[in-house]
Amino acid sequence: MAADPVKLQKTKDIGIPSIAMCVARTPNSGRLIFGSSDFKLHEIDVFAENPQPTSFGGEGHQSYVTGVVLAGPNIAISGSYDGQLIWWDVEKREPTRKVKAHDLWIRRLGISPDSKVIASVADDMQCKLWNAETGEMLRQFSDHKPMTPHNFPSMLHAVAFSSNGKFIATGDKVGHVAIWEATSGSKVGTVEAPGLYTWDPRQRRHSIGGIRALAFSPDNNLLAVGGIGQIGNIDHLDAPARIEIFDWQKGERKHELNNDKFKALVEDLVFDPSGQWLLSSGGAGDGFVTFTNLETGKPIHQDKLPMHVHQLVLNETNDMLFAVGHHKIAICEFKADPSPAAPAEPAKS
Amino acid sequence: MTLSRRGFLNGAALGTACTFASDMTRLDLLRQSSWADEVKKQGKRVILLWLAGGASQLETFDPKPGRPTGGPYRAIPTSATGVHISELLPKMAARIQQTTAIVRSLNTKNADHGGGATIMETGRIKDPGIEYPDLGAICAKELGRLDSAVPDYVSMYTSTEGRRKGTSGFLGSRYAPMFLSESMQPENIRRLESVSDLDHQDRLALRDLLAKKFTQNRHSDSLGSHTQAYQRVRGLMASEKLFDIEQESAEMRAKYGPTQFGQQCLIARRLVEAGVPFVKVARAWWDSHGENFETHRELCADLDHSMSVLLDDLKDRGLLEHTLVLTFGEFGRTPGINASLGRDHFAAAWSATLSGCGVRGGACYGKTDEDGHKVADGEVGAGDLFATILSALGVDPRKEYMVGARPIPLSDFGAKPIKDVLI
Repeated sequence: MAADPVKLQKTKDIGIPSIAMCVARTPNSGRLIFGSSDFKLHEIDVFAENPQPTSFGGEGHQSYVTGVVLAGPNIAISGSYDGQLIWWDVEKREPTRKVKAHDLWIRRLGISPDSKVIASVADDMQCKLWNAETGEMLRQFSDHKPMTPHNFPSMLHAVAFSSNGKFIATGDKVGHVAIWEATSGSKVGTVEAPGLYTWDPRQRRHSIGGIRALAFSPDNNLLAVGGIGQIGNIDHLDAPARIEIFDWQKGERKHELNNDKFKALVEDLVFDPSGQWLLSSGGAGDGFVTFTNLETGKPIHQDKLPMHVHQLVLNETNDMLFAVGHHKIAICEFKADPSPAAPAEPAKS
Repeated sequence: MTLSRRGFLNGAALGTACTFASDMTRLDLLRQSSWADEVKKQGKRVILLWLAGGASQLETFDPKPGRPTGGPYRAIPTSATGVHISELLPKMAARIQQTTAIVRSLNTKNADHGGGATIMETGRIKDPGIEYPDLGAICAKELGRLDSAVPDYVSMYTSTEGRRKGTSGFLGSRYAPMFLSESMQPENIRRLESVSDLDHQDRLALRDLLAKKFTQNRHSDSLGSHTQAYQRVRGLMASEKLFDIEQESAEMRAKYGPTQFGQQCLIARRLVEAGVPFVKVARAWWDSHGENFETHRELCADLDHSMSVLLDDLKDRGLLEHTLVLTFGEFGRTPGINASLGRDHFAAAWSATLSGCGVRGGACYGKTDEDGHKVADGEVGAGDLFATILSALGVDPRKEYMVGARPIPLSDFGAKPIKDVLI
C-alpha cells in the first residue's frame, strides 16, 4: 500500500559538519552511509539516542564523494570528483579496492536492482558499468556531447537503472537523456528536456541547471527527469523546481511540473513502489519535498525540509524517508494527522 | 636603455604636444622627471581581463584542497616550483613560471558590487570631493601618445546589466574609454554615407574654428580635453578594422576559439598591437551565489583557454614584454559554501594576477590562512596593486596630478608596489 504523502512529518534532523552529497541505507535499519564534502564516507545510526557519524578510514577519496551504493551486506561502493570508485568493507570501514574509473569528476552512481552492476557517470560524459563484486568494467557508452551548444564544457550529472534492471538512463547538462539496454549497451531511446538548461546569452553569458535526477517508474514505462526551470537571474537557484515525466518508449512527455511553491533544484527523484506518486526533493537555500500524482501530474503534497537535500532513500515499508544534504540529515515519517500543516514558504536562494 | 629613432621621435612628439596641451595636465607634465622616463614608457600596453561579478580565488589562483572551504576541485602544480592553482586552469598552470605572478593577499574591504568595482577600477575608495580616473584612463594618459591615431582606452563590457563604463574622472573626456557594450564592433564611428569625406573634413575644420573662438580667453580643463577628443575623431574612425577579427587568419581565430571572451581577447591583442595602450575585456558574470562549482567549471575553462592563447600570441609577436595582462574583478568569493553550493561576495582575502610586462613570472606573493578566511601574510590593498601595476609599466606611482591646487598621486596615498612580483 502506498504511503499517504499528506501524512509526511519531519521527526528528526541531525546536524553534521560537512555537506552530505549522497546516501545509501543498510536494509532494515537506521544505519545510513553517506558521502560527503569532506572527501569521506561516514556511517550514522539515525535511530541511536545521540546519533554521531563515524568516518570510514584508510586511503579514501581526494574530493567530494558524490555517489554511494550498497552492493551486499558488507560492501559499499563510492564515487567521487576524484574520478575514483572505491570498494569498502562496511564493517571494518576500510577500502578494499580502488579503480580509476573516469578522467573527470564522477557525479553519481546507480546500482542494478540485483546489486550486481554499478553505473557511474562523470564529466568525461561517459557512463561506465562495473561488476559490483569484482570491480571489472563491463562496458561504457555515451550519447552526450562534451561541449554545450554554447561552447562550454558539458556535464553528465544523472544516472538511473530501471526497476527491472534492463535499462539505464543517463542525463546531461543540456537536457539530453539517453536510455540504454544494460546488458548490451545499445541505445534504445532518447528524450529531450531542454527546459532544464538555462543559457543566459546576454546578462551573464554562462549557463546553469541541467538534468540532476532521473528515475524509472515501477513498471519501467515512465522516466522522470528533474532539475530546475528557466532562471532569470542565474546567479541564484531562482526558478521553480522542475520535473518532466516521459513515456520514454514512445518518446512522449506526459507531464511537466514547474513547482509553484519552491524555487529550487531537484536533486533526487523516487517513485512510489505502487506507482501512485513521484517524490522529488532538492533545494536552494532550504530544502523541499514534493509528491506528484502520476495520473494528473499535479502535486499532492509539498513541504519544506531544513536543508538543501542532495539525496534521499525510503525504507522497505515505504513509510519513512531519510534525506541528506547541507550540513544535516532529516528523517521524515508518513504518520501525521491527514490534515496537512500550513504550506511552507518557498525556499529562498 | 636603448633609444630607437622612432622611440625618440615619438617621445619628442609627445613632449611637443604636451607642452601646448591646454587641459589640467599641463602643470603636471611640467613636473615630469625626464625625457628618459617618457621614452621608457613608449610601447607599454595593458590588457585588463576584468572578472566581473567576482571570481572565486579558491577555484582559480588560491585553491584550498581538502579544507572545508576548498570545494571539490584539486590543486595542480604549475610550472613555477611550489605554486599550485586550481585544476580548472590547466593551461595557465603550464604558463605561470614563464609569464605570470599571482597576488594572493588582496584585502579590499568592500564586498559590494558597486563599491568594490569602484575601488578596483580606481585603486582607492570613493571620495565625494573628487572624481578619480580609473586605471584605464590613467594608463591612457601615461602610456598613450597625444598624436595617436588609435583609441587610448577601449573597454569591452558586453554582458550584465549595470555595465561599468569606466571613468576618466578629473582627467577629462580626452581619456574616457571607447566603450563597447552592445557588440564587439564599435558603433557610430563610421562616417555616414550621406556625408562625403570632404564634407566631413570641412565640418571638423568649422568645429575647430568655432571652438578656437569659443576658448579664446577661456581657460578650462574640460574645454581643452573636449577639443583634444574631437581632434582625434578621424583616427578613431579609422580604427574600425581593428575590431574586425575577420581580418585575422582562420587559424588564428580558431586558436582563440568560439566564445565571445576568446574573440574579445583576440581583438584586445589586435588593439595593443596597433598601439592602444589600455584595453579592458570584461568577462561576466562570476557572481555564483548558486552552483559556484558548475559556474566556475564553465567560466574557468573560458578564462584558462582565452588567457593562455592571448599570452602565447603576445609572446609570439614579441609584445608580451611590453604588455601587462591583468586579471581581477571587484572582489573574490567567500570561503564558506552556502546551501545552494554557491559562494558569496568576499573582499577580505582574494587574488589577482599580473602577466608579462615588468612582471616576475612564477612569483606568488602573499598568503591566506588555511581556509582562506583572511590574509595571513603580505596583506595588500587596491592601492598597492595599482602601484605595482604602474611600476611594472615603468610609471612612477608616486607621480602626482594637480587637480586645482590639490596634488593627487597616481596610486593612493601610502600605496606601495609589491616588489616581489616585479622584475
